[in-house]
Amino acid sequence: MTKPASSDRPGIRFGYRANLVGLSALCIILLWVVVALFAPRIIPHSVGEIVDADFFGPMSRDLWLGSDYLGRDTFSRILMGARYTLGISLAAVCIACFSGVALGMTAAVAGGWYDTVLSRLLDALNSIPSKLFGLVVVAAVGSSIPALIATLSVIYTPGAYRFARALAVNVNTMDFVLVARIRGEGLPYLIGSEILPNILGPVLADFGLRFVFVVLLLSGLSFLGLGVQPPYADWGALVRENIGGLPYGAPAVIFPSLAIASLTISVNLLIDNLPSRVRDRSVE
Amino acid sequence: MKKQISSLVMRRLLIALITLVIVSFAVFFATALLPGDTATILLGQSATPEAIEGLRNAMHLNDPAIIRFLKWIAGILQGDFGTSYANNVPIATLIHGRFANTMKLAGLTAAISVPLALTLGITAAMWRGTLYDRLVTVGTIGIISVPEFMIATLAVLLFAVYLRWLPALSFTNEIKSFHDLLRAYAMPVVTLTFGVSAQMIRMTRAAVVETLNTPYVEMALLKGASRPRLVLKHALPNALGPIVNSVALSLSYLLGGVIIVETIFNYPGIAKLMVDAVSTRDLPLIQTCAMIFCLGYLALITAADIIAVLSNPRLR
Amino acid sequence: MSHTTTNWSSSDDKMIESAIRSGASRRDLLKLMLANGVAMAAAGVVLGRASHAVAATPVKGGALKAAGWSSSTADTLDPAKASLSTDYVRCCSFYSRLTFLDQAGVPQMELAESIESSDAQTWTIKLKKGVTFHNGKDLTADDVIFSLKRHLDKATGSKVAVIAAQMTGFKAVDKNTVELALASPNADLPTILSMHHFMIVADDTTDFSSGNGTGAFKCKQFEPGVRSIGVRNPNYFKAGGAYVDSFEFFAIPDENARINALLSGDIHLAAAINPRSVRLFDGVSGFALSTTTSGNYTDLNIRMDLAPGDKRDFVEGMKYLINREQIVKSALRGFGVVANDQPVSPANFFHNTTLKPKAFDPEKAKFHFQKAGVLSQPIEVITSDAANSAIDMAVIIQATAAQIGMKLDVKRVPSDGYWSNYWLKAPVHFGNINPRPTPDILFSLLYKSDAPWNESRFNSEKFDKMLVEARGSLDQSKRREIYDAMQVMVSEEAGTIVPAYISNVDATTTKLNGLEPNPLGGMMGYAFAEHVWLSA
Repeated sequence: MTKPASSDRPGIRFGYRANLVGLSALCIILLWVVVALFAPRIIPHSVGEIVDADFFGPMSRDLWLGSDYLGRDTFSRILMGARYTLGISLAAVCIACFSGVALGMTAAVAGGWYDTVLSRLLDALNSIPSKLFGLVVVAAVGSSIPALIATLSVIYTPGAYRFARALAVNVNTMDFVLVARIRGEGLPYLIGSEILPNILGPVLADFGLRFVFVVLLLSGLSFLGLGVQPPYADWGALVRENIGGLPYGAPAVIFPSLAIASLTISVNLLIDNLPSRVRDRSVE
Repeated sequence: MKKQISSLVMRRLLIALITLVIVSFAVFFATALLPGDTATILLGQSATPEAIEGLRNAMHLNDPAIIRFLKWIAGILQGDFGTSYANNVPIATLIHGRFANTMKLAGLTAAISVPLALTLGITAAMWRGTLYDRLVTVGTIGIISVPEFMIATLAVLLFAVYLRWLPALSFTNEIKSFHDLLRAYAMPVVTLTFGVSAQMIRMTRAAVVETLNTPYVEMALLKGASRPRLVLKHALPNALGPIVNSVALSLSYLLGGVIIVETIFNYPGIAKLMVDAVSTRDLPLIQTCAMIFCLGYLALITAADIIAVLSNPRLR
Repeated sequence: MSHTTTNWSSSDDKMIESAIRSGASRRDLLKLMLANGVAMAAAGVVLGRASHAVAATPVKGGALKAAGWSSSTADTLDPAKASLSTDYVRCCSFYSRLTFLDQAGVPQMELAESIESSDAQTWTIKLKKGVTFHNGKDLTADDVIFSLKRHLDKATGSKVAVIAAQMTGFKAVDKNTVELALASPNADLPTILSMHHFMIVADDTTDFSSGNGTGAFKCKQFEPGVRSIGVRNPNYFKAGGAYVDSFEFFAIPDENARINALLSGDIHLAAAINPRSVRLFDGVSGFALSTTTSGNYTDLNIRMDLAPGDKRDFVEGMKYLINREQIVKSALRGFGVVANDQPVSPANFFHNTTLKPKAFDPEKAKFHFQKAGVLSQPIEVITSDAANSAIDMAVIIQATAAQIGMKLDVKRVPSDGYWSNYWLKAPVHFGNINPRPTPDILFSLLYKSDAPWNESRFNSEKFDKMLVEARGSLDQSKRREIYDAMQVMVSEEAGTIVPAYISNVDATTTKLNGLEPNPLGGMMGYAFAEHVWLSA
């Protein structure tokens, strides 16, 4: 397959600029990773300590981002929260997407009974409301970080599966896959070398989207008692517990939201701006 | 082809039925695993051992779980959805109004969000890499990143409390005119549209971009096709499968996932009913709600699958 | 009100009020009062009070809309099963009770004409005549007996079965007189009958969805988990009846949504708002707050029959560790009253005013923890949203403990099922107790040796004896003496730490008048619907 002349696609015109965007997104993500790793050492106040007699206090020299609803330092809580938001969300979304995509591709290629059974099972799983699921997990295995990660992964795998499968089914019908099959290639080769490269783009976009969902669902589950225990909290939980400060524009609720937005936007911009070769292997 | 489609639909219906059974069993099992049952929950702090026993007997909660499950299935087959454990009202009555409400909200939201999302997603893919595309991308991700309860609260603060343009609650019982309808539904629908369309925009754009990279599209470009024609006539039919799937997934959220919107706007829909039912371990109600969500979800993805098959000649 | 003019009585108030009504101007009245020696500030207060009283003459009409905080498909119009504020409000508007508690916590007659007894064991209840149910039926002794007796039937699933168990004999002496025999003397019977669960329903009622009662409102519509609508009962036995034409009640669980509904004018009353939200009303005109401290509290329970509570020093240490002022300040935002580790609140007639709680002393706490040998080990504390402010309190206590090197592992569990799974069961956990009208009920429910809700497994024969003695005695001063001593016992020996009594704050528009605090709870003891009116 020769490279068509018009592969000089519109995007390349902004090639330089695209890289800059991707690079800055990467920097933001790395910054949060560093914060997450060193949080306990850099926070100015203890996470649970009440430092302000008032609540929803404004930004001041001592409390850089003001105080939260109980009078604790918002800045410290956000820094500490990075560990949970980043760590748990990344872990969960990686597991969910990896399993979903792998299963989806396998189902699309193998077809037949395997496809039917797997699709039905995962559809059934998707129908169970996440609250019920979360409660059952807490009741059955108690609450802990691994349980939380597992719950989040299970909740989002069916969606990833469905999408990957739909993409893979389309690719599966292409001629080059047919050719590979006739050649006698086995399932692993078909999946790894033929299907995957051609669906990687949308799958990565799905990854980015799922990451956002996980970050937000994480706070919901924490409120159910599954996962991050007081005095620690993930960013979503910080937004939720300080939502009463919204009418005053309190920093305690604005800044965790900005933190979430910065992370999720960065992850998605990075994915959008990965070097073309990684993202789109159909172009040699 | 018609015969193939009808046999496909038949097959899917059968499979849907099986899925329903699996789901109801799974939900039943999950609820049974949860500690406490309706008697203990209803009695709350007043639950002494004798009181619990007495109430359990009165409610027939002491029958073995599997018997209750089978009794319920038998009832369903006869069209009787049973009565709620918590307040003895027939489930059909409880659900009827709430379901209609949920459908209204879902319908309105879908009618607005799907065209919007498809348009934005496709046009962003069409002019990939331009400022327009960048704006759409960042905007979409930014919106998804804001927790739904925050969007809802902000909307209420702005439109209901400060501007007083719209009511803070959705009193669906007092709608007498189209104007009332708009006022009552404006904020919930807008809040939901934000979240739901963002996902669809992202996935639509990604799927279309993907198909734009394929050889036949290059071919069409070489033939001199304009960009819109390229996208709409050549790329879109092939991207339809994944697009429709993502639309179906997003819309299925409108059935059971809108608990936050229902809570903040006090909208009496089914999601909140289900959450209540779980809290009171009201088994018949949980089962029926779960079935409704499952049915809705299955209907949506079956439609998505059929469209995907129709759109790809090689699958027919 | 913080100012009190000495030698100014309510008759003087009335004089000022009638002066205003007949057209006296503010300036004239002020001059008059100053001339008579009333201080300037006090005069202002008196005028304000009088003007308010005049402006606040009840007006009939209007559709009242109010929102509570919790509602589910388990909402019921059966008084025996009433468990949430939402149920209580509905029961108060559709039904009536034999007695009710006034603002001072003293029982007053409602459906009963009189309740008397010579020995506190056999009581004669005379009913008011001419009372009818919404469906036209007359109120008779049979209705009362049916309403009370059904609590004893297990199939009813009554929330007050334990309290009703003491009623053993029911006799309808005639159409309007009931003779009630108790298992043992209990001087509090009139107060007990004022509880919401003892509302009177019609004889042989099995289906409660129509809300057929003798109350100020007739039930027009009731959708559990959604809302209820009542319309004024024209045949209400109290002269004049309710002021508003209709009363719609529903719940908005999300607190912000509830407040926003009030601020945007959709409702007239938002019940139980979070103290932190009080700031939202600063400088906003058109809204008022009504604060009630009725005896609701969240307590930290340490089971004394399990580790670590079995070590006396651990319990002592925890009592010194609790910074009650900070809890009232930070967790309750000032909307609370520091409590002294026992359940009888200042709203209660028998509250022991001299008993002081253990002062906050982290050093002493550390000393006790060291003695108990628990300073080095992490102690798990279970908390949940199910108990008011329990999570905030837990976090504050955890932070204080960390300062002396004590590690408290706060575990937040779902509020779903909290009362069945953790409360009374975990070694260290939070509980929440709703107000009860008498110390006898509180002690019987919570501290008697075999009490069903003995949170810390407090066990004392002496206490049990004192309980029975106080219950049966009709001598008020003797009862006070015994209850005082019992409060001291609970405060010093039990494992339940009560940091504060939580105030309830209801927010209303200024168009709503007539709302006053009541010891049975917020929203005027849940009975506000028939007492309030809407001004234009």
